[in-house]
Amino acid sequence: MSDAFLFAILLLSPIALATPIVIAWTIRPGAEWVRKLAILAVIGLGISLAVASYILYKYTFIIPISGEEYHRIVIPWIPDLGLYFSFIIDELSKVMGFLTAFIAFIIGVYGLEYMAHDYRLGFYWFFFNLFTASMLTVAYADNLMCLFIGWEGLGIASWGLIAHWFRDDDELTFVGYTGRRVKGIKMWWVPSFSGYRAITTVRFGDMPMFFSIAAIYVLTYLLGHPTLELSQIPWEELLRFIGPFGTFTLLFMFLLGPLTKSAQLPFTDWLMTAMTGPTTVSALLHSATMVAAGAYLFMKLTWYIGINTHWKFFEIPGLDAVYVSMLFVGFVTALVCSFIACGCLERKVLLAASTAASLGLMFGITATAYWTSMISPEFGMFSVMVAFWYLVTHAFAKACLFLVAGHLIHVTETRFSVGDWKFTRTTPLMTWAFIITVIATTCLGGLPLLTAYWVKAGMDAVIHGIAHVAEHLPEAYSIAVAAFCLYLLTSLTYAAFLAKFLSLNFVKGEHPHHVHAHGGYVMAFGYSVLGLALIALLITYVGGYTHYFAEFIHHGSEPIAVAIGLLCLISYLVALYRPRIQALAKVGEVLHDRLYLPVFCDVVMGSIGWGFAKGFWGVCRGIDWWAHNGMIRLFKWFSNLVRSIQRGYLSVYIRIVLGVILAVTLIFTITYFGISLT
Amino acid sequence: MVNLNNILGLSIALTLIIIALVFTRKEKYSIVPAIVFLSLIFASLFAPPLSLSPTYLAFLGFIYLMAILNLTSINSLKVRVLPGIDYLLTLIIVIATFISLLPNIDLITAILALILTSVPTYVLILLGESTPRSVNVGIKYITFMVFATVMYIIGVMVYVYAYSIGSTLLSIAGFIVLLVGLCLEVGIGPFHEWVPDVFTAGDPIPVSIIASIAKFVPFIITFRILLTYTIPEVLPILALIIAIISGISMFIGNIGALTAREPGRILAYSTIANMGYVLAAFTAIISPKPEVLTLACTAILLQLLVNAFGKIGFFTSIKGGGSSSILTYILALSFIGMPPLMGFWSKLFIILTLASIWNTWNGALGLAIVLVFNSALSIPYYIRLAKMLGRPWSRTLIDGIVLITALIMLLTVVPPFWFIQAINTFTFKLV
Repeated sequence: MSDAFLFAILLLSPIALATPIVIAWTIRPGAEWVRKLAILAVIGLGISLAVASYILYKYTFIIPISGEEYHRIVIPWIPDLGLYFSFIIDELSKVMGFLTAFIAFIIGVYGLEYMAHDYRLGFYWFFFNLFTASMLTVAYADNLMCLFIGWEGLGIASWGLIAHWFRDDDELTFVGYTGRRVKGIKMWWVPSFSGYRAITTVRFGDMPMFFSIAAIYVLTYLLGHPTLELSQIPWEELLRFIGPFGTFTLLFMFLLGPLTKSAQLPFTDWLMTAMTGPTTVSALLHSATMVAAGAYLFMKLTWYIGINTHWKFFEIPGLDAVYVSMLFVGFVTALVCSFIACGCLERKVLLAASTAASLGLMFGITATAYWTSMISPEFGMFSVMVAFWYLVTHAFAKACLFLVAGHLIHVTETRFSVGDWKFTRTTPLMTWAFIITVIATTCLGGLPLLTAYWVKAGMDAVIHGIAHVAEHLPEAYSIAVAAFCLYLLTSLTYAAFLAKFLSLNFVKGEHPHHVHAHGGYVMAFGYSVLGLALIALLITYVGGYTHYFAEFIHHGSEPIAVAIGLLCLISYLVALYRPRIQALAKVGEVLHDRLYLPVFCDVVMGSIGWGFAKGFWGVCRGIDWWAHNGMIRLFKWFSNLVRSIQRGYLSVYIRIVLGVILAVTLIFTITYFGISLT
Repeated sequence: MVNLNNILGLSIALTLIIIALVFTRKEKYSIVPAIVFLSLIFASLFAPPLSLSPTYLAFLGFIYLMAILNLTSINSLKVRVLPGIDYLLTLIIVIATFISLLPNIDLITAILALILTSVPTYVLILLGESTPRSVNVGIKYITFMVFATVMYIIGVMVYVYAYSIGSTLLSIAGFIVLLVGLCLEVGIGPFHEWVPDVFTAGDPIPVSIIASIAKFVPFIITFRILLTYTIPEVLPILALIIAIISGISMFIGNIGALTAREPGRILAYSTIANMGYVLAAFTAIISPKPEVLTLACTAILLQLLVNAFGKIGFFTSIKGGGSSSILTYILALSFIGMPPLMGFWSKLFIILTLASIWNTWNGALGLAIVLVFNSALSIPYYIRLAKMLGRPWSRTLIDGIVLITALIMLLTVVPPFWFIQAINTFTFKLV
């Protein structure tokens, strides 16, 4: 089977098999047999999973790919413009593609039960599968325009899915306390508005990114090898060509796409209100797709700039500014969002804030490659790989937690955290959900010896790595200290709010008013698989299957890693015991209002949007006026002018002709003598 | 030169016959000797010493057809000031046109052809009903024409002299005078002042002759003179001047026509624009390649044919108070340049000419853009004209003539690439 064919199946089968339910739903919305067609859509996801698994298997065992090697599949599209459908299989993408397909499939299965009684399933499955296909495109794409198609597919699908319950008639789907206002500004959000917020925020970043891609093509064209292939762009030559300011502008514009998509500060707020979508969507959106796409793309960019420059980032002027910005944007987002998560009582919003925090860590850790690569290229690569495996760990854990949260919402019929020990013990499947939640939270929180602990040990190592280059770069030491403080605080807070989630939903929360405990087995299957996947991942790490994992084990045995792990454990246990502290209620309120970041999203960015809209409206009216009035008036005026010389008097005509001849002669004479004088 | 002698002999015979008819008051029969005579002249072009290629003769057939249409249309005049003589005058122009298109003619013959084209029109313009208005128009026309012919001849003399002594200054000066003469003669902007007045106030039938057959000779001999007597160094300047004048003419014509109300006036501005299109192809003289010159010459002749047949059709229908709307629309669409009508091909050839000289001279691109823009600009007024002149079909001489012109526009449903071959076998340099 050719690789091109393989990719066609991988990317098209989810969309192709979602088509029947889309068409059938428009003809017979709500019919029982149409609802059953959802199974086809999930089979489409299954086929993608099979292909992605095959790719992972083939390029790990049959044709081993590791480190800086890669394998490219190029299908011509418009070669004259550098456009190819080109895919790359490398250390990152082979795992990322599998991860996306796997989680999408599991969530798809979960959705069969969770969404069974929904009022527009055609819409849902179309966008769900488009979402997956787009993310797979982003995961494997090498050509930046090909990647951008997947990128925009993610954008439009996220809009469709977040605003899925567009009727805005179910309080269960809102975010925030309904009716709450702060200084007159609405602090609750309905699905349709949340979808709008998501698409406007990501589009805000996508436009500069798009222009940056265009600029990259033009620049490579000027350098004599026009290309849009991420792995083939001559980064070193290109970045030196445009100088430090150009480098910063180009890459910052490009990274605005990932920053908005991954909800880094100050663009975090769309992610919180994205919780108005179905829980399946939140789970997919927050684990392996959409938000992960931003962090993933930053890793990939760093990876290939690294390969092209032989991991000598520091020799290229301008890159320091880019990486310092990314490091601090990442770590500050991580800390701020961890605090916000602590103040949240809505199940899904808490998890959403934690996602933003995790993404911040991914950005920050990837950015450390700039400094660690000074020690050795391998260490630079290790930075990216730490961030990448954290992404994988986080994806499983977060998808699992979201699916649990969805089940809880289903059972308790509220989006706020409720549930006590009695509820957990007496309600069917809840004990199991509790166990899975314990696994997911402990594995993600960095508690000693569990899954995320090993990756976080790698994080400690790379942040320390920054300090090691202080002899070359004096400021590196202060950067390392600042980054470490932010990282440590984030880790402790992170463990705490995970424990809070567990405690408030299963142990120490209020007793639920309603309990709706029918079925739920398919849902339980979904998160159980993901919980088990976390344990499998732990075994993989501890088994040291790649040299990166061996490094994880090595760094995990260092005292500092153990100490941080123990601190996380303490933080976790304290939060489990005291999930809410009344004395901090005022602070909690501010955190729950997300430090008033919604104001930035709704008022500031909204005004910018309106400014653009009004500006363009003015331009359009100008064009209308020009087309309907201005141009016609101009031609009329000119036409009348041309005809006005036809007075009928011969003498006038002769004068005109003689005048023109005189003028021509004058021009000729002056020009001629002008030329002969010079 | 045998043929010229034949033509001379035939002309004398024809003149005598027509004068005899005039004196015996049998002028209405004079169309018979006129057409016989025209046919004899056309037939003499097939005779051996000329050895013209069959395709070129087919092209000359169009001129012959045009002459017949002109002669026939004179019959539709109600009042004829000089019956019989009008045929004679038209035939002189036709003969001059044929002469200008013959191979191996010299400069004197070429200038003679111009004079023979120009002078008869002085009388032709007065053929309509004699009113103060038509007299006014006649005086304007004659003044301009005399001025034009004199300027032209002086220009040619200076230009040729400059060539023989190799003076670039004189060459450019001569060219400017020559070009002004040409512009005045055919009505290229900004020397177009007589055109709207004459075309509106003059009788449509003589005007249709002036607007059709009389346009050929000035352009053809100018092109032949430029090909023969140009110093290579002045070519870029020549091309620039031609392009500027051509662009001005297109804009004046098309924009002027936009708000013109009378059909005659619209056609006057349309002629100014069309003369601009023809002039645009003259920039090809900058290219040394014979195939480019052939293409340019094809474009010039085809655009002149389109203009001539279109103007005969439109002016004849003005005379008849309108004609079948299907036919007027065909003519209008051809002028706009809608494929596969003839007007499309002529503009296409001009643009191809400009495209093929683009690598020699950058301005060609700008001129081509101006041309395309102007074609778009002309759409409203041609459609308006077709609407104004359209009425149901009737079996009259008028509709018959318009039908023939419309059919000619439709001939190019078969792409007229044979036209390039026709010109290809022909050398345009003077001896």
